[in-house]
Amino acid sequence: MASDSGSPTVPSPRSDSGFLLELDDIRAGYGRAALVLRGLTVRVPAGGVVCLVGPNGAGKSTVLKVASGLLAPRSGRVLVDGEDVTGRGPQQLLAAGVAHVLQGHSVFREMTVAENVLLGGYTIKDKAVVAERADFVRDLFPLVAERWTSLAGLLSGGQQKQVEFARSLMVRPRVVLLDEPSMGLDPKTTGVVFEQIARMREAGTAVLLVEQNARRALETADIGCVLDLGRVHISGPARELLADPQLGELYLGGRPAQPPAAPKR
Amino acid sequence: MPRDSERPRHTGRLLRLGALLAGIAVALSFPSMAPSPYELTVGIAILNFAVLSTSWNFVGGFTGYISLGHGAFAGLGAYATGLLVTKGELPSFVALFVSAALVAVLAIPVGYAALRVRGASFVIVSIALVLIMLLVFQSWASFTGGSRGLVVPRPFPGKLRSEHHEIFYFLFLGLLALALLAWWIIDRSRFGMGLKAIREDEDKAQSLGTPTYTYKLVVFVVSAAFTALAGGLYGLWFGDLDPVFQFSILSGAYMVLMALLGGVRHLYGPLLGAVVVGYGLEYSKLEYGDTPLHLVFAGLLLGVVVMFMPDGVIPAVTGLVARVLGTGETSIREVTAAELRDERDEREADVRPDHRPDGKRPDGKREVRQ
Repeated sequence: MASDSGSPTVPSPRSDSGFLLELDDIRAGYGRAALVLRGLTVRVPAGGVVCLVGPNGAGKSTVLKVASGLLAPRSGRVLVDGEDVTGRGPQQLLAAGVAHVLQGHSVFREMTVAENVLLGGYTIKDKAVVAERADFVRDLFPLVAERWTSLAGLLSGGQQKQVEFARSLMVRPRVVLLDEPSMGLDPKTTGVVFEQIARMREAGTAVLLVEQNARRALETADIGCVLDLGRVHISGPARELLADPQLGELYLGGRPAQPPAAPKR
Repeated sequence: MPRDSERPRHTGRLLRLGALLAGIAVALSFPSMAPSPYELTVGIAILNFAVLSTSWNFVGGFTGYISLGHGAFAGLGAYATGLLVTKGELPSFVALFVSAALVAVLAIPVGYAALRVRGASFVIVSIALVLIMLLVFQSWASFTGGSRGLVVPRPFPGKLRSEHHEIFYFLFLGLLALALLAWWIIDRSRFGMGLKAIREDEDKAQSLGTPTYTYKLVVFVVSAAFTALAGGLYGLWFGDLDPVFQFSILSGAYMVLMALLGGVRHLYGPLLGAVVVGYGLEYSKLEYGDTPLHLVFAGLLLGVVVMFMPDGVIPAVTGLVARVLGTGETSIREVTAAELRDERDEREADVRPDHRPDGKRPDGKREVRQ
């Protein structure tokens, strides 16, 4: 199912019962400037990957900032597992299970991979739990285990991204917000990054992904949302969006490879 | 059997241990080797600089906040010790520790205000602290002695001058060891990890749940206390305090220069910087008297460090050694998780006796993994 209204209902392909993260009719903007988000609704099911695509200035990164508490919405509600968390700060949202991996590289460059990852679990007081989580992410991201004692700043862009992913998973988040994880990476490295996103989903973590590399992102996601002018323009199962020829022309930079199977709009 | 990559690390550890033991041996035997009491006083001055600079590095090295106002804490430590001895009639070393505690308490509101601002604003606030203290201690002559200075009685009146210097040499050495130990412990702690995250990116550290403000304040107070101990010990040793020298922007600037020269991220960075700068200052004072030439040297040195070794001498030299020995990291190629798993499996296979490290079987054929 798909919709072009401002507040679509996004179905969960994995779970029929409720949504993990819900942004409901959000209106938000920066300072006194005009609104960036104008009545946007996005829902992320537990364990699912939802991808936001759209042109520059559509408000994709702003959605993630509202979801992680970096930006308070002017109206609308943010719900985590049914609980209203609207207006809470990043640390409280982190405690509620929402981790945000920012755009660009955000590793601590002069600290080791180990320190970077352990900082992700800084709010956990129990050392045994920290060790157990560190083992979990080392297992999930072999590169992180391999470069455990290296300075994070010496890693390449794609490797740093994996360290950021690992860091975000230390607090056992229920949903990870990824802002353009493939930015500035070559095609092979982008492939490595998307491989890791798939592994995060396999580990049971829901992902809300913002990507300019729309075709690649929709191939990984369960649900796709096309944003334009601060609203969800179209949403539906990612594979259906990918196959839509008109959508391909408009937003994905060319025709899709497969024959079209147009989603309902 | 250790892996190839572990051998240089093992050698490096042995070299570091050897250098540490040699350094301790030289430091302990210096008083008996010093040709005259003058050389011993140079040694004491260098140790005093080393303690001050290491103390400064609790804030500068861990959090990246550059304080030019630490001279104020040293001056306060010296004056508080002197005043507690002369007016409070406390025993010298009790006065020393009480004064350090008083300065630590005073550092709480100072840090509370100063650490709210970052970058250049913090530097200016820290300078303001020194200037305020200078005015107070100059103007309040009835209590502090004002511009006439304050004479601090010697803690060991019966000793000869050379014995007095020798005792203080070892006291400064002990205090330096204590400061280095504290820095080393913090460096390896969870607290230290949070502080270093503040240095890298304070906002990011906060978003990960580090209580940044509290951490900065705690380490600022620890730094102030050690600085006050160094200042107080100097007061007891030198015996004559003048506000112009005690509350000087220069003393704070020297601490920064020494730490930057050696390397703020390294335990021994400030100590190395203190040896170089301290010796240089004493040498130029001896050679060129009271001319301001030593300031020109210090300024030039700062310029050279900032231009050619922005991270300090220790990281520059260790980087060079790593390049020469080939132990530095060279590859940042991208690998998939599957490739890494294969590499790991191969390494595990290598340690089995029937496998050669090059992945070839004894008959020369390449190992084929299923």
